[in-house]
Amino acid sequence: MSFDFALIATSLPKILQGLGLTLNLLVVSTLLGLLLAVGILLMRLSRRAWLVWPAKAYIYFFRGTPLLVQLFIIYYGLPQFGLLRHSFLWPFLREPYWCSVLALSLNTAAYVSEILRGGVLGVDKGLIEAGKALGLTKFQRASRITAPLAVRLALPAYSNEIVSMLKSTALASTVTLMEMTGVARTIVADTFAPYEIFIAATIIYLVLVWIIQTAFTLVEGYANQYVRKG
Amino acid sequence: MSLLDGWWDDFFFGLLTVLKVFVVALAIAVALGLLGASAKLSNSRLLRTLAQVYTVVFRGAPELLVLLLFYFGMALTLTWFVQLFDPSVKFIDLPPFWAGSIAIGLIVGAYMTETFRGAFLGVDRGHVEAARALSLNPYQVFWYVRVPQMWRLALPNFGNHMLSIMKDTALISIIGLEEILFVAKMANSVVHRPFLLYVTVAMIYLAMTTVITLVVSQLEVRANRHLRGTR
Repeated sequence: MSFDFALIATSLPKILQGLGLTLNLLVVSTLLGLLLAVGILLMRLSRRAWLVWPAKAYIYFFRGTPLLVQLFIIYYGLPQFGLLRHSFLWPFLREPYWCSVLALSLNTAAYVSEILRGGVLGVDKGLIEAGKALGLTKFQRASRITAPLAVRLALPAYSNEIVSMLKSTALASTVTLMEMTGVARTIVADTFAPYEIFIAATIIYLVLVWIIQTAFTLVEGYANQYVRKG
Repeated sequence: MSLLDGWWDDFFFGLLTVLKVFVVALAIAVALGLLGASAKLSNSRLLRTLAQVYTVVFRGAPELLVLLLFYFGMALTLTWFVQLFDPSVKFIDLPPFWAGSIAIGLIVGAYMTETFRGAFLGVDRGHVEAARALSLNPYQVFWYVRVPQMWRLALPNFGNHMLSIMKDTALISIIGLEEILFVAKMANSVVHRPFLLYVTVAMIYLAMTTVITLVVSQLEVRANRHLRGTR
């Protein structure tokens, strides 16, 4: 058995060909997931049972089942319905890319809405009461007091969720997408040098994680610039 | 559900496999978590660095990648190793069960390391000093004073890590272990009802994660029973 360091170096550029798709999946699903998460959060925070319960059920299902199973339900499962195959959605749902985006967004929305809820619940009640006393409307209180503070509180957990999303994009390789893990798997099938190739891919993922964490540290510093230490 | 007739036993044995992987991976993760946390809190710079590298790599790399690396890599290493003794051997691979359990144990062990480290730091130093003053040896201090108190603080995160292990078991179907997702794939090639089959898999996982959540909340009540009324 030999470990070929040169192979790591030569395979890096090949694996990087999948970087674009990995980042594409990450950015598109994160943004769609965030939009969805805000909607679910609002339902979850409302006082109407018929809004709260669907949100709870959604969160329960998507956090309680493996992402891979969700992806398979969407990619392999949905085409079972002829109705769907003849609808306007079919051009999207037959593409592994959109199935992956859909699974990733639906999945992350459940986690992000809970992260944001944690932030909202962490906002000091006194501040909201002060807002009321100053005659701010409900909408003003939500947008000027609750939201900015909740986002600040939720940032650390949100950065972890982005990292976990990056890692989840690797699952797209199971539905034939050639993102970084998919490319690495193809190269391993050709060369049968699993250590070198997969370690090369791991290095790229670790660099991306580092970039995400550094970026969020900066954002957190910016968001907390008014908070006096000590 | 007549559609699943003839597949119930396969799903049942698939579920047993999932549970076995869960138990083995959990044991590995807890052991690595305790070792990792002890290393991170030790005085030795070498141990601290090693533990740091371990947590950075295994928390940063995609689970699927670690699993593939482990499965295909170990096959290569094992074959090489066995050929040293018996050159006639062509190929040996690590059974998917062990490759999967070890890979998941390693990944979640890295998360456990961080959880346990934080929880150990939360244990009042005075208790440890008191135990030393009572002449307990380091082993006793660790198991009778540090671990029981750390446990209470670690429980909520520990529960989340157990859920991660349970959900990660689905990945092992990719390397060919016959767990429930794999059974669903097989069944689908015969009955062609992918939606129903994969939703069945999802429901089984949902039941498992629900049980884990309930157990953890009971454990939390138990771990905090002596604190009732003081907080």
